[in-house]
Amino acid sequence: MISTLIYGLTIGGILYIISIGLSLTFGSMRIVNFAHGMVYTTGAYILIAALPFLHNNFFAGVLVAIVVVIPLSFIIEKFIIRRLYGESIDYAIIATYAVLLIGVDLVKWIWGTSPIPLSDPVGKSVTFLSIEVPLYRLIIIAISLTLCVGLWLFFKKTIVGKIIIAGLQDREAVRSLGISVDKYFSLVFVLGSCLAALGGVLYAPITTVHPYMGFHILLISFAVVIVGGLGSLKGTTISAFVLGMVMAITGRFWGPAAEAMVFAVMAVVLIYKPIEV
Amino acid sequence: MTSKIRDSGGLGVILIALGFTILGTGTSIHRTTDFIIFCIFVLGFDLLYGHMGRLSFGHMLFFGSGAYAAGLLVRYITPHPLLALLAGICGGALVGGILGPVVVRATGACFALINLAFNQVGHFLALVAFAKVTGGEDGLSLTFSKIPFLNISNPKVFFGFTIFCLCLVYYFLKRLTSSPYGILLRTIRENETRAQFIGYNTFQYKWITFVISSSISAFAGALATLNYGYVNPSFIDPTRNVEVVFAALIGGAGSLYGAILGGVSYMVISNYLARYIPRWEIFLGLALLLLVFKFKEGIWGNILAVWKRRTQARSVNRT
Repeated sequence: MISTLIYGLTIGGILYIISIGLSLTFGSMRIVNFAHGMVYTTGAYILIAALPFLHNNFFAGVLVAIVVVIPLSFIIEKFIIRRLYGESIDYAIIATYAVLLIGVDLVKWIWGTSPIPLSDPVGKSVTFLSIEVPLYRLIIIAISLTLCVGLWLFFKKTIVGKIIIAGLQDREAVRSLGISVDKYFSLVFVLGSCLAALGGVLYAPITTVHPYMGFHILLISFAVVIVGGLGSLKGTTISAFVLGMVMAITGRFWGPAAEAMVFAVMAVVLIYKPIEV
Repeated sequence: MTSKIRDSGGLGVILIALGFTILGTGTSIHRTTDFIIFCIFVLGFDLLYGHMGRLSFGHMLFFGSGAYAAGLLVRYITPHPLLALLAGICGGALVGGILGPVVVRATGACFALINLAFNQVGHFLALVAFAKVTGGEDGLSLTFSKIPFLNISNPKVFFGFTIFCLCLVYYFLKRLTSSPYGILLRTIRENETRAQFIGYNTFQYKWITFVISSSISAFAGALATLNYGYVNPSFIDPTRNVEVVFAALIGGAGSLYGAILGGVSYMVISNYLARYIPRWEIFLGLALLLLVFKFKEGIWGNILAVWKRRTQARSVNRT
């Protein structure tokens, strides 16, 4: 039971890290960003490529992955996302999906299609109430909770965060104050992409690394964002952890159904709470 | 200007039948049968995307439910091919009818994503949950019974039959989209609130359209099952949705000719050009970006634009 709880919190934490970026991009730019999945995959693969050079120091690899993703996401923002402002939302989906396709194929080209397993970077486990729990899982939970608090502080206390939140709510009003909203939104995009890469590298040791990993997690993150309410940060946070628990509990009874269960929950939520976009 | 090309569907049927017969005899009948089935799928998809303005990123679900309904009927109940087609259409309509009330309430991005999520669930159901019935990863290989006048194991007969089906679907959609109902669909695309304001229950119309679209897609799926003689999870694979989106875009969304042209173009690219393209997905991605940013109207849209310019120039010359 405790291990299921820990597992649910781990997945919830990872889902939170990934979904918050999606939610931010959606809320700020009204763009559903499939390229998020590409950044996620890229992060994990860069970690694998970087590990041999870093004496297998996992946490240095995480930093490298995030740093590499920054220019990448900047390029995507500059050449793809920036041109989609004011376009129909369908075109945004198609264009970012195209970026995902290109990214997946590049990954396949460079690293091949076969899944790459990654061992637990910490390797130790702690005994907690007479149940053995991998320390790495606890680290993930700690990181996601820290991020949770950090992002909350960022959006409540710093001026940049406040501008972004204001921009989410009323873009024109912020612009009329003489603030270049687009500049802050591209910052949001890069931030979201960094979080996606972080999610990718943190999740990599738990699952395997393969070119289509971004596709599956992306769908689940979308479910998280839809359940939490598009563009709502608080909703995304809660629904990430709830759906993580749903996945863990379903997975305990029947592993393969975990993903499908998330979508079932999403369907039920949608029946009672139709969305207006 | 439009009076010249306006017809009630008959001309289009003749054009389509002639065009595909020439294509089939000129190239390979097997390939062209694939083309035709894919065109039916694109027509079904485009009813939602082009005409009602709802981009579904999970239409493989309906294609797959049609294919699996047909396959399961043939495997477990009766090997009659026409009944299999009927089962396919009913299967798609059933799935569309059940999911419709949940899905059609969403618009834009949510609509696309919810469809995609359900497609993922359907893929899981076919691949894992009901693996004992559906054969899991290997799928089902099927044999059909021989029926009089329609020996589907003969490629030429089946080729003719698919052309007939395509013409049927085209004619049906042509009449549907030119009717007041079709106008209402375009009204929903342009401004749903106003359509509601006039007094239409748009929810109901959207649901019906969703069911029609999913039935047509399921019809294409059932035809594909008949054509290949097997059904496997690739028929319901959510990663293949991009194919139909690509086809609808390249042809020009919102027109029946555009959908057929798009279907043929995509199949030509993926069947003939793909041999010379080493990285297929990169090519597809770049082509999609090009379509979205530079070539939004698609092939048919551009043909219409050229046509319009010509006739305008002519009328200017005359006066």
